[in-house]
Amino acid sequence: MLLAVALATMLTIALMVTHAMAADLATEIKSLDTSNFAQKEKAIAAIAATGDARVAAVLTALNDNKLLIRKADRLVVIAEGKGNVKIENAATGEALGEAAEADLDRIAINNKIRRQIKVILGGLTLFSDDPAVRLKAADDLFRSRDLSSLQPLKDALAKEQDPQVRQAMMEALAALTLVSDAPEAEKLAAVLTVKARGDQDAIALLSSVAQGSDAVARAATEALTSLEWARSFWDSLQNAVYGLSLGSVLLLAAIGLAITFGVMGVINMAHGEMVMIGAYVTFLVQEVIRGAAPDLLDQSLFIAVPLAFLVTALIGIAIERSIIRFLYGRPLETLLATWGLSLILQQAIRSLFGPTNREVSTPSWMSGSLELGALTLTANRLAIIVFALLVFVGLLLLLRHSRFGLEMRAVTQNRQMASAMGIHTARVDALTFGLGSGIAGIAGVALSQIDNVSPNLGQSYIIDSFMVVVFGGVGNLWGTLVAALTLGIANKFLEPFAGAVLGKILVLVFIILFIQKRPRGLFALKGRAVEA
Amino acid sequence: MDKAANSILYLDDVNVSFDGFKALKALSLIIEPGEMRAVIGPNGAGKTTMMDVITGKTRPDTGDVLFAETRDLTRLDEATIAELGIGRKFQKPSVFEKLTVGENLALALAGNRGVRDALFWRMSTREKARLDELLEIVRLGAQKDMLAARLSHGQKQWLEIGMLLAQEPKLLLVDEPVAGMTDAETETTASLLKSIAGERSIVVVEHDMNFVRELDVKVTVLHEGTVLAEGSLDHVSADNRVIEVYLGR
Amino acid sequence: MIAGRLLKISDRGVLVTLAVILIIAILVPVLHLLVPPESAFHIPAYAMALIGKYLCYAMLALSLDLIWGYCGILSLGHGAFFALGGYAMGMYLMRQIGSRGVYGNAELPDFMVFLNWTELPWYWHGFDSFAFAMFMVLFVPGVLAFLFGFFAFRSRVSGVHLSIITQALTFALMLAFFRNDMGFGGNNGLTDFKDILGFNLQASGTRTALFIATCLALGASLLLCLAITRSRLGVVLTAIRDAESRTRFLGYRVEAFKLFAFTVSACIAGVAGALYVPQVGIINPGEFAPANSIEAVVWTAIGGRGTLFGPILGAVLVNFAKSWFTSALPELWLFALGGLFLAVTLFLPKGLAGLFDRKAAGGRRAVPAAQPEAAE
Ligand SMILES: Nc1ncnc2c1ncn2[C@@H]1O[C@H](COP(=O)(O)OP(=O)(O)OP(=O)(O)O)[C@@H](O)[C@H]1O
Ligand SMILES: [Mg+2]
Repeated sequence: MLLAVALATMLTIALMVTHAMAADLATEIKSLDTSNFAQKEKAIAAIAATGDARVAAVLTALNDNKLLIRKADRLVVIAEGKGNVKIENAATGEALGEAAEADLDRIAINNKIRRQIKVILGGLTLFSDDPAVRLKAADDLFRSRDLSSLQPLKDALAKEQDPQVRQAMMEALAALTLVSDAPEAEKLAAVLTVKARGDQDAIALLSSVAQGSDAVARAATEALTSLEWARSFWDSLQNAVYGLSLGSVLLLAAIGLAITFGVMGVINMAHGEMVMIGAYVTFLVQEVIRGAAPDLLDQSLFIAVPLAFLVTALIGIAIERSIIRFLYGRPLETLLATWGLSLILQQAIRSLFGPTNREVSTPSWMSGSLELGALTLTANRLAIIVFALLVFVGLLLLLRHSRFGLEMRAVTQNRQMASAMGIHTARVDALTFGLGSGIAGIAGVALSQIDNVSPNLGQSYIIDSFMVVVFGGVGNLWGTLVAALTLGIANKFLEPFAGAVLGKILVLVFIILFIQKRPRGLFALKGRAVEA
Repeated sequence: MDKAANSILYLDDVNVSFDGFKALKALSLIIEPGEMRAVIGPNGAGKTTMMDVITGKTRPDTGDVLFAETRDLTRLDEATIAELGIGRKFQKPSVFEKLTVGENLALALAGNRGVRDALFWRMSTREKARLDELLEIVRLGAQKDMLAARLSHGQKQWLEIGMLLAQEPKLLLVDEPVAGMTDAETETTASLLKSIAGERSIVVVEHDMNFVRELDVKVTVLHEGTVLAEGSLDHVSADNRVIEVYLGR
Repeated sequence: MIAGRLLKISDRGVLVTLAVILIIAILVPVLHLLVPPESAFHIPAYAMALIGKYLCYAMLALSLDLIWGYCGILSLGHGAFFALGGYAMGMYLMRQIGSRGVYGNAELPDFMVFLNWTELPWYWHGFDSFAFAMFMVLFVPGVLAFLFGFFAFRSRVSGVHLSIITQALTFALMLAFFRNDMGFGGNNGLTDFKDILGFNLQASGTRTALFIATCLALGASLLLCLAITRSRLGVVLTAIRDAESRTRFLGYRVEAFKLFAFTVSACIAGVAGALYVPQVGIINPGEFAPANSIEAVVWTAIGGRGTLFGPILGAVLVNFAKSWFTSALPELWLFALGGLFLAVTLFLPKGLAGLFDRKAAGGRRAVPAAQPEAAE
């Protein structure tokens, strides 16, 4: 029987290849109107032989039980829907309006016919003019491992020119060989081909072949082991990338805090709200652009970043001048006052913009992804990693090399001395706080791209940010960097084993224990500055 | 360990650095039981740092610090060191400002320092007498129920001295006791310290040369974290290097 | 000397508070049980439960005050001890349901049946017994506080760092209790309680008894805190708060004192949580939310820390205001709370109690504006 099918296929293909389109599709379709399965088979072969563009549509419909005969005029139609169905002429594709299901007869098919259709359809796609379609057909075949397609595949492979498609077809052939009763040597070679492919499907195939104890099974097992290794390598790499991107989000959220907390010793519980406001600035910028200059939408982030910095920095300075400066030397009170402030800011945003999420669009250049080996890097993750590092480096340079940075460090180390040297400590305080808040605002722009922009946005980052700063060592930007990336990566590596929530708990517990061991964090400063 | 024989305090080759800055360099010092020693030196010489090392506040990078010949102070925490019998008066008066004078002294009174003892503690008549005696000595009898915060600078100094005495330590470390005191008070302090010496060992740090002269004890001159000279005040003030350190540059 | 201060203003505050608690403990039940519902003076069950809830919060605030007001330890995770006490009580109440649950399973609480569990987890054993559950109400928060404090204080984690890791602690617990596999009812927590010690929880008598128990527990905690703070230990705690390292140089093992106060405080918070649960009828992981703990700190600060009666006042007033606001002007509540908080930290560092204290000769326990570390 297999032989018969193969023969029929050969015939079909031969006919197609020569573009013999002598017969008329409509006539051949008409001959489907019979209860004899053998005749139907013949009719199907004939339909395929027409090489008409509608062959695929008709045969697919037949396979899906959607090819029906209108009782009134015995016209073969393709029907869509249930109950009252939309029908079209099967031969021409001309729409014929609606019909009741009761007015239509189904063309019954059996399994043999199904197989026949499948082979023909497979053949059609394997021989399609479009290389993408051929590629997909080969890949589908690799997965389905339908032995009835072995012959057409071989034929297709023989005349394939495109190297990529050729490769896919060879892999599909190897897959079919492995499930066929081919000789051992051929199968062993096939194992290697499949192994070289190395993806999830290859692993699935090899694991199914690896059952048993013959040479092929052994080879498959071997291939599988080495593939598992490669896969866990790529998985780790992928996790590292996810971790890196989570880490840079943490870095962005924490770095402003590292300044206000680390440099000034001020606990700003409203830090998260600065992040949130930054995200809302992004939203507003996009709203305005959408109304005024929709073409600029892709550039909206470039406008949002400086604007968010400005807005939050100003708010920060206002907060410092009106609240924080009265509370220096009383860190716990600062903590509570800024917490009160965070409630007010949250509620203010909620009253202004409503409690629901606001839609912030992602520029086109941030969508899409990059494939690197088995690694997928999405553009927005990459953008955030790069952005976080840029912010970090920028800040580092600012603190190291600018006059302001110098004054800031002077004030941190010895307030009296700095003020005696003519530094306006009050101004430095305000600006430092403004800087920390401004950076939080920038972080908000970035987070608006990956998180929901809602009044609660900041809340979800505040504890993590504190953890990062404390873990990294207060007053040390490098510590913040290392801590953020470490925690991000640790989180992502724990996730597969422990699940997201438990992973997070483990990380928290780890930090709590770590702080016991090293109360000053990873990179502790020694000396008077920290004791004060 | 016999290098430390017959000493109440033994410092040898002690080094302390803060972020690269060397506050103490190969400092060595031996105090005999019952001895009173004056330590002088310009600002930043490391006098306070030396006391920090002895009382466990600062851990030396290297060096031996032994108490009563055998106890290695570099391994103990502040509370244990205090319990061993080392009392300290700080340079900046550091009394408990929100407690009364009486409470300050009561906290310092020798006795058990455990949590349970503190919870069920009632002042005995002996302790009450001791407290009154101390109030007498530091002349704060009238201020007994006053918050320490409201004392004058000099009175705070006295209170700290009182707290130091209340601890009944074997070794007293006294950092600049007479700063902010009148001449008469300075004199009283000197005689007070002299009366304690012999029974207890004392290390006094002071800038006030009159006071040091008053004490009339062996003097150690510290400079840039090391001992520059040692001997009687007359002896060290004749030393050229000492003169240079104090007057030169 | 210490006896001499017994009539200091803050003590008078404590005495008045004790008297008020006593009056409430008698008056509210009388007005609830004996005055007929038609009367204007009748206190309905829900109102009594509400007051009971406030009093539980007051206990939580008191427990915070013991460590923050007297020892300078600002815990931003005290809600965790409250919630743990609550869960211990909740577990007992769950076991009391027996086979009256929706699934009628006498062995397992409903949520376990729902999760297809076949066996009671080991840590649920024993909670059938009231005595055991009450022991756990003290034991679980106490042990957690002891272990946490032991490591934290030994490594001298203090000030802001300590606050932050206590917050991390309660956050981690919240995440953990949200998980279904923890066996504490996940998201929904424990609820649908039927009775306590065999008495129907909905019955007026039971509710009144719970209310009186809450008053007594609050009064007892207040007395306990009073005893602690008036002892020499209290003096040491104050000394630690104002000049930690100076206290060390006097030979006091600061970490031991802190640990004692922290553990006692956690136990009080646990009891508060245990009394809270039967009166509100539910305990869920939301109680672990860091914001709850901070809110409790708010009550303490607003009332006036370091006074014992201040926090009680603060908790009751703020929560009363919260109930009123959230029904009358819900959007304004957060503005009000935040604003109140800012105002108190900026203008009223001693809290409401500071208002009473103003004319007094500066109570020593009142917290100073700035707390410089004396021993430098
Ligand atoms: N914790 C610290 N961190 C950094 N530097 C320190 C620290 N403690 C002391 N120093 C430095 O060590 C040096 C010695 O200080 P120390 O306080 O011991 O001097 P001193 O002799 O007591 O001076 P003074 O007479 O002014 O009290 C000083 O330069 C000081 O700045
Ligand atoms: Mg000094």
